[in-house]
Amino acid sequence: MHFADNVDYPALLGRPIVFLPLLALLFEALRWWNFAATAIGRGLTGLFSLTGLTPAADNVAVAALATVVVGFNLAVVMRLKLRRQVYIVWLELAALILVFFYSFNLSFDFIARKIGFLITQGLVMTLYISLVSIAIASILALIGAMAKLSSNGIALGVANFYTSLFRGIPLLMQIYMIYMGLPQLGYVVGAVPAGIAALSLCYGAYMTEIFRGGIESIPKGQWEAARALGLKPNATLLRIILPQAMRVIIPPTGNQFIAMLKDSSLVSVVGVWELMYLARTQGQSEFRHIEMMITASLIYWLFSILLELLQGRVERYYGRAHAR
Amino acid sequence: MREVAAGALLALGVLVAGAFLPVGTHGPARSHSELKVATNGAWRPQSYLDDHNQLVGFDIDVAREIARRLGRTAKFETPDFATMAGGHWHGRWDMAVGSVTPTKARAQVVDFAGIYYFSPYVFAVHKDSPARTFEDLNGKTIGVETGATSEDYIRRRLRIDAPDLPPIQYRVTPGVVRTYADSTMPLDDLRLGDGVRLDAVVAPEQTVLGAIASGYPIKIMPGGYAFREPLTVITDKGAPQWTARIKATIAAMKADGALRALTVKWYGRDYSH
Repeated sequence: MHFADNVDYPALLGRPIVFLPLLALLFEALRWWNFAATAIGRGLTGLFSLTGLTPAADNVAVAALATVVVGFNLAVVMRLKLRRQVYIVWLELAALILVFFYSFNLSFDFIARKIGFLITQGLVMTLYISLVSIAIASILALIGAMAKLSSNGIALGVANFYTSLFRGIPLLMQIYMIYMGLPQLGYVVGAVPAGIAALSLCYGAYMTEIFRGGIESIPKGQWEAARALGLKPNATLLRIILPQAMRVIIPPTGNQFIAMLKDSSLVSVVGVWELMYLARTQGQSEFRHIEMMITASLIYWLFSILLELLQGRVERYYGRAHAR
Repeated sequence: MREVAAGALLALGVLVAGAFLPVGTHGPARSHSELKVATNGAWRPQSYLDDHNQLVGFDIDVAREIARRLGRTAKFETPDFATMAGGHWHGRWDMAVGSVTPTKARAQVVDFAGIYYFSPYVFAVHKDSPARTFEDLNGKTIGVETGATSEDYIRRRLRIDAPDLPPIQYRVTPGVVRTYADSTMPLDDLRLGDGVRLDAVVAPEQTVLGAIASGYPIKIMPGGYAFREPLTVITDKGAPQWTARIKATIAAMKADGALRALTVKWYGRDYSH
């Protein structure tokens, strides 16, 4: 629930009628899955030295063990404070993902050899492309939203066409069209500028709609009140409407930034040495794609988390008038 | 009226200022000290990043040698293969040394500046495979990289545009052909087990040897090569003199043994003829 209710209901998981059948279901699922034979299951068998029994007995033992661990874990976490619950669940799920990756039997030696270059060249290039594109896309979006809300037919037409075209064509096509198409018009564009242009235009189009929606969400009364106070249209927009609209605009915009960070990987098709390109080529030349894919994924994830944290701060700042 | 006059005056000012600017020249100017080479960055040992993160490999060495003989230094870019082999470079690159096969379709969009080596293709099978001869693979599921020579070969539509080479012999009739987006994915499916997803893969001998060296449980089908693929340096259409210069350089490198030395250095055997 968005706002806590003042009446306390017992937590759903705290009721035995829910908790116990759930654990039973989990046990059956693990047993059916033959969990003992999976990489994680084998790890558990080794950890508690259960080996030596028949595979079927092993399976039941490991499933029971995993169920007990999960049940105990739930029972403990349920009794903690909300904040701690969130952190602990988050960390546990993250640990599960890492164990999942670990179970691929990766060559950490290979990763250690390649990760330096992945960061100094790949990550730096990815961040450079993303940051420049984000800046340009934001400006385009603001202009686009202004145009869409204006009463100027030409601006409206241009903006409608822009959002329709760039939201309607796959980003990959846009990258190819700019990289291969611009030279037909006489300008031989480099791979990095082509990628930045495509990302900016595409995300500018999406964000135009976000900005427009945010501005439109402010009731007409605000405009009228500002006008009554004698503010000019520009001042009204900048000082009255935008600060209020930001609260609506920030969450989806943060989404776009995170999506952009990862979509910058599409620029690899024109040979830009960013994170995805390096991960792909380095992995391919030594038959170790899984290592490189996981490493690159973790780097993308880490930076998405940073963006999420940043978004949270900005959201709190603009939402302070609405916070309880 | 006043505003019209002011607007006209402003427009005149722009025109006068603009008259001092030169008309833009289309395309980047050709440099005479460097040779812009397009290549691939992910094929070992043709062209890949070594542990010092430098581009190295057979294609790289060949490109450097061509550049040296033309009195220039090679500068590399790593576009998508389709972008490179699709022509319409608009001066982005002077030539591409990226192990491109001279097919008839490709001759429509780029020029071939000379075959510089031959890559033998083999049938790879899982090491538990009971297949002994090429005939055992008839009717089986065979994996290939899509758009690559191996796909054209298994579908019997490989049209090499090199008049002085003998025609290709097709010796296997596949049951199902499964295509993959890159050269190693078929091998990744083959390693899962004999017949799990694939019964055999058509791939360059070097790729298969590399996979075996990396611990893939596969082997090369005995009975010789499936076929030998010629590979050429390409240039963009519309510069016959430039193409002829590169062609002459490659012929000279073949004649004086430079290409043989480079294939032996990178492949361990002579692939130059």
